[in-house]
Amino acid sequence: MNRKRALISDTFKVKKTRNGTEKFGAVSNGDGLTDVKSTVEYLMTLFPRKLFNDTLPQIVFKHQLYSIHSDKTLVDKELNKLCERGELLMFQLGFDAEAFGLIFASDYKAKVLAGEEGRETQATVKKFLEKVLSSCTDLSFSKDKMLREFLFTDSEITQLVKSGVLTVRDAGSWWLSIPNSGKFTKYFIQGRKAVLGMVKKSKYSEVLKAELEERRTTSHVKFHMKYHIHDIVGAELVESIPTTSGTLLRFVDS
Amino acid sequence: MLGFLTARQAGLDDPLRLRRAESTRRVLSLKLNPDRDVDRIHGNGINSLDIEAVEGRYMLSGGADGVIVIYDLENFSGKPQYTCKTVCTVGRSSRHVHKFSVETVQWYPYDTGMFVSSSFDKTMKVWDTETLKPADVFEFEGNVYSHHLSPIARKHSLIAVGTKNPKIQLCDLKSGSRIHVLQGHRAEVLSVRWSPRYEHILATASADSKVKVWDVRRASGSLLTLDQHNGEKSKASSEAVNTAHNGRVNGLCFTGDGLYLLTTGTDDRMRLWNSATGENTLVNYGKVCNESRKRLQFTVSHGCSPEFVFVPCGSSVAVYALHTGELVTMLRGHYNNVDCCEFHPDYQELYSGGKDCNILAWVPVLRASDVEEESNNAIKGAVGQTSVNPAFQDAWSSEED
Repeated sequence: MNRKRALISDTFKVKKTRNGTEKFGAVSNGDGLTDVKSTVEYLMTLFPRKLFNDTLPQIVFKHQLYSIHSDKTLVDKELNKLCERGELLMFQLGFDAEAFGLIFASDYKAKVLAGEEGRETQATVKKFLEKVLSSCTDLSFSKDKMLREFLFTDSEITQLVKSGVLTVRDAGSWWLSIPNSGKFTKYFIQGRKAVLGMVKKSKYSEVLKAELEERRTTSHVKFHMKYHIHDIVGAELVESIPTTSGTLLRFVDS
Repeated sequence: MLGFLTARQAGLDDPLRLRRAESTRRVLSLKLNPDRDVDRIHGNGINSLDIEAVEGRYMLSGGADGVIVIYDLENFSGKPQYTCKTVCTVGRSSRHVHKFSVETVQWYPYDTGMFVSSSFDKTMKVWDTETLKPADVFEFEGNVYSHHLSPIARKHSLIAVGTKNPKIQLCDLKSGSRIHVLQGHRAEVLSVRWSPRYEHILATASADSKVKVWDVRRASGSLLTLDQHNGEKSKASSEAVNTAHNGRVNGLCFTGDGLYLLTTGTDDRMRLWNSATGENTLVNYGKVCNESRKRLQFTVSHGCSPEFVFVPCGSSVAVYALHTGELVTMLRGHYNNVDCCEFHPDYQELYSGGKDCNILAWVPVLRASDVEEESNNAIKGAVGQTSVNPAFQDAWSSEED
């Protein structure tokens, strides 16, 4: 690539900078969201609640944020801060080692308790949510920790797994999980495959982002098109290239 | 630039500041230079490169055909057009040459009289540079993936060797013994690296997704196993699932000051760790394509203000800023996969070798010569300058001071 201007480090930058030269083709989503939390809230609005009859809390992926903010490390740091404050919960969703789901803690608690109404595991789940979630921000729990720190018995742990709040990671350790999220994972993977297929089948394996959003989706794609686009751009499954006609998405062969 | 020089002269700035700023500027302008070439001797891919630490003049390269070549990097010819000549080689005709591919080569850290090479023929040879004959040969049971000599060791002269066997062997150069073994990994050890800060600290990376940090003086196991999730490390049950990557870990590199450790793995990720606590600093570099089944040699710049990491990524070399994780640029030039790269700290040059049998030199591009210096064209060598009528030439220069 031939660059007319060479890369310059910060110390050598010209003092006079032209103000507000926008990079052509790169349209920032959501009217220039600079805050990570507001970006998460914006992405949450893209989540289809009706599809799951409101039983699932709104889930957003961590890598979807990378498609909006350019500095990944900053996004990670902000998310960690939110998790430590107890506002956001992060989950390992199992189908991809790098895909972390984000849910607002209040949302999660409300939906889980609503789902547990009238079931025999309700008491244990309530205890778990109050004790563990408020103090610990880990993604996974080991047996020792559960027994000693939080004083859960073996049978209580079995009840938690049964209710879906914990899933098995290894002999003696569990991931924190979302009950009834199987359907979500299934639809998500189907939709992602369908959208990627759409990009791949296009001429030269590239599509303008605006055009992709306009396209009619098959029955496989159950989520909002924008939700999937943020996902594939953030996971670097497609390359996002700024052009004079808008952002171009090109399939990445790996 | 002039501002920096004046400030240094007047004592307003620390002398180091000018050096750092200029080194950073040079690293950012790395480009393939048509004037600089490296002699092409290898008939097969190049697996490993090493530049000696004393003068920075000689470079060793080990190839997939078992050949080891030494190049002289200094340019004494006076012309900008320069090919790094071969000083000597251990070719296929030599009696002592390795039978299979040479995986790692390293100069003895204190002088160029000796170098060590290890290969897939299950041996590691310590060579005398003068006679090009092995002074000592260590034999192993499995393919040797990687070895490393500590660059700062004064109290010991151990070579850490990573082989197909999960046990890491420490060979002593002085006595020739190899009884010291480090146990802990469960699969082949792909890369080993001594810390440039403490002479007894060793980091090892293995195909079982784990990276372990050892103190070789300690009788019991490793000091730390790096955990990418920064979960609890104290309980024994959680030690078993501590993984540094979600795939094989095939590259290790300490930063110049030894405070941070970089690891790359086949899960296409690169992670930066605090080498004292083993904490994942969670710097996100994005997708760093990595399909290598053997060790990947990558390097960190030295002496720049934001340090840079040079990682071979497919057939190009990716340059990332160390602490922010942003991709600065991709250096494209190789025709096939790049396997190794080495940074020359004094001249801020990068040498990379790959499967296309070429070693490419990436040299910082100096400022383009001005109109007045057209007469010196013959001496400067043609760097793409054609004789243009001065009236049409662009007299505006992008220099800020």
